[in-house]
Amino acid sequence: MKIARATALRGSLRLRLLAGTLLWVAASLVVAGLALDKLFRDHVAEQFHAALQTHLDQLTAGFVVDEQGRPALATPLSDPRLSRPYGGLYWQIDRLAGDGSAAATGVLRSRSLWDSVLAVPSDSLADGEMHRHRVAGPEGSTLGLSERSVRFDGAAAASATRWRLIVAADERLIAEPVARFSGALWRALALLGVGLALAVLVQVVVGLAPLRRLRVALGRVRDGRSERLQGNFPVELMPLVEDFNGVLAHNGEVLRRARTQAGNLAHALKTPLSVLANAAHGRQDEESRMITEQVEVARRQVDYHLARAQAAAVTHGAGARTLLAPVIAGLLRTMRRIHAERPLELQVGVMPEALAFRGEVQDLQEMLGNLLDNACKWATQRVELAAQRDGEMLRITIDDDGSGVAAAQRDAVLGRGVRADEQTPGSGLGLAIVDELARLYGGHVDLAASPLHGLRVTLSLPAAV
Amino acid sequence: MRILIVEDEPTLNAQLASSLCAAGYVVDSADNGVDAHFMGDSEAFDAVVLDLGLPRMDGLTVLRKWRAAGRAMPVLILTARDGWHEKVTGIDAGADDYLTKPFHMEELLARLRALIRRAGGHASAEIVCGPLLLDTRNGRVLVAGQVLALTGHEYRVLAYLIHHAGELVSRSELIEHIYAQDFDRDSNTVEVFIARLRKKLPVGLIETVRGLGYRLLERP
Repeated sequence: MKIARATALRGSLRLRLLAGTLLWVAASLVVAGLALDKLFRDHVAEQFHAALQTHLDQLTAGFVVDEQGRPALATPLSDPRLSRPYGGLYWQIDRLAGDGSAAATGVLRSRSLWDSVLAVPSDSLADGEMHRHRVAGPEGSTLGLSERSVRFDGAAAASATRWRLIVAADERLIAEPVARFSGALWRALALLGVGLALAVLVQVVVGLAPLRRLRVALGRVRDGRSERLQGNFPVELMPLVEDFNGVLAHNGEVLRRARTQAGNLAHALKTPLSVLANAAHGRQDEESRMITEQVEVARRQVDYHLARAQAAAVTHGAGARTLLAPVIAGLLRTMRRIHAERPLELQVGVMPEALAFRGEVQDLQEMLGNLLDNACKWATQRVELAAQRDGEMLRITIDDDGSGVAAAQRDAVLGRGVRADEQTPGSGLGLAIVDELARLYGGHVDLAASPLHGLRVTLSLPAAV
Repeated sequence: MRILIVEDEPTLNAQLASSLCAAGYVVDSADNGVDAHFMGDSEAFDAVVLDLGLPRMDGLTVLRKWRAAGRAMPVLILTARDGWHEKVTGIDAGADDYLTKPFHMEELLARLRALIRRAGGHASAEIVCGPLLLDTRNGRVLVAGQVLALTGHEYRVLAYLIHHAGELVSRSELIEHIYAQDFDRDSNTVEVFIARLRKKLPVGLIETVRGLGYRLLERP
């Protein structure tokens, strides 16, 4: 299962493209989201402290100390959160320990602090210097605060005293907008991610469409509907298509040459064999009988191996498609001439015009020619041929009204069950070679009793569309 | 009966010629396509034995040219090419029969006899004309059941007349069909053969059409 999945990923361009792009998109979106989140968080914190600063400036501006050295707020701060108990925004004024005065926290406080006092860690502040702290606030909240120390010039008593002014705000004021923003941000990014994934899917499907067309074109070649890859392909695929067409053409050429050479060899051998046979014919001495016999053996060997050479060329004939009707018409013309001495009725029964065989015309002629010739030789006076499509296969039946073949002998007639090197070339060669050719094409030959009382041969071959 | 043998292998050509001569035919030979085409086109033959792989012009082309020019003599293709593809091509080019090498001479002779007979419109191997019966299988002529003793030339003249019984056969036509091309044709031997045949046959069977030729009649 694991292996299968790994193979699917390695084996599929579409999956590879999809996985690669989606991984990259997801990583980019996560990085962008984190960066935006950080940016916003910093920005909100900045604003938070800027607001604290403003409030601290207002507090500083309104803070006065009278002649007796008592602090007071001349102008109250306006923010309503300062007057609501635990409103989230607080101020407090501490007196720092100095010459002749004790330290006191919470000398003046905002109403919002109610009865609590902010405990700020003491640190030595220079005059006017500002510090930031985080401290625990009322009701378990965490506060961010800004502090500053001031000293008044003028009255001697008052001038000796230093004051610490504090403005604090609940950090929830930061957390809430950040949480809201983060939620919206990640939802938006997720939506963008889904959109990008769909776009990638469309791109992969559209981008790989030429490959699918290539596969269809190849299928047409394999089914014999086309001899070469046809159609418009992107420039990136054209070299491949052209090379493939080159290979197809070359294969066809090699096939033709092999056939021609096999034929030439047969021709070259058979004429001398004829001369030898004729020279020995009609003489009764031992040598002539031997020559006659050996010539016959040689003839059978040539026939047998020529037929096998042609059969061996079969599997390379991809892309061929042969219409049945013209081949049968040509063979019937030939049979009528060759068997003109016998009063034969050659009839074609059911035979749809469009039937086509997925293979070479010469192989079809060879198979049907041998079968028809056999039928004509054995028939008393009738030979009938019919053909029809049966799913992926063509079924061609040839009936004769001769003496037929007994069921027990049918396999032997087809040369089956006999080791190749024990086969007697020439004996029943016709049917055996038809059987071999048909098998090379993925078809087969069946023998049965004919309704005409002779032999019925059924030839099954792959059909072309 | 005059036969043209077209075969480029000299030994086989000679074997064919001698076998056909022995069977009572007059034989002309060609060993290349161009000569064969010229001979078949300019002379009258009763049948042709044609090889396909020939120098200078291949056999199929020769055959197609003859047929295109209206030459209708029966042609038997004798070749080593035994694929059905080649047989169909040969028959469609106009051949009347197809025999593959190696072959038995008897079969070739039988097929030639059948071709010549069928070309004359005779369906059976025995051709009957009145009291005469020509058995093409063994080259004999019977008169009322009795075998007629004939010389080779006499047989050829009579066989040709029987094949064309009832038709007017000119003297030159007879000469063309009973002598090979290189024979001296100016001789008056045809008249001699006709005279001899008239002595051996029932009176009045061979009619002389003055100035035109001869006609074999079914009844005197």
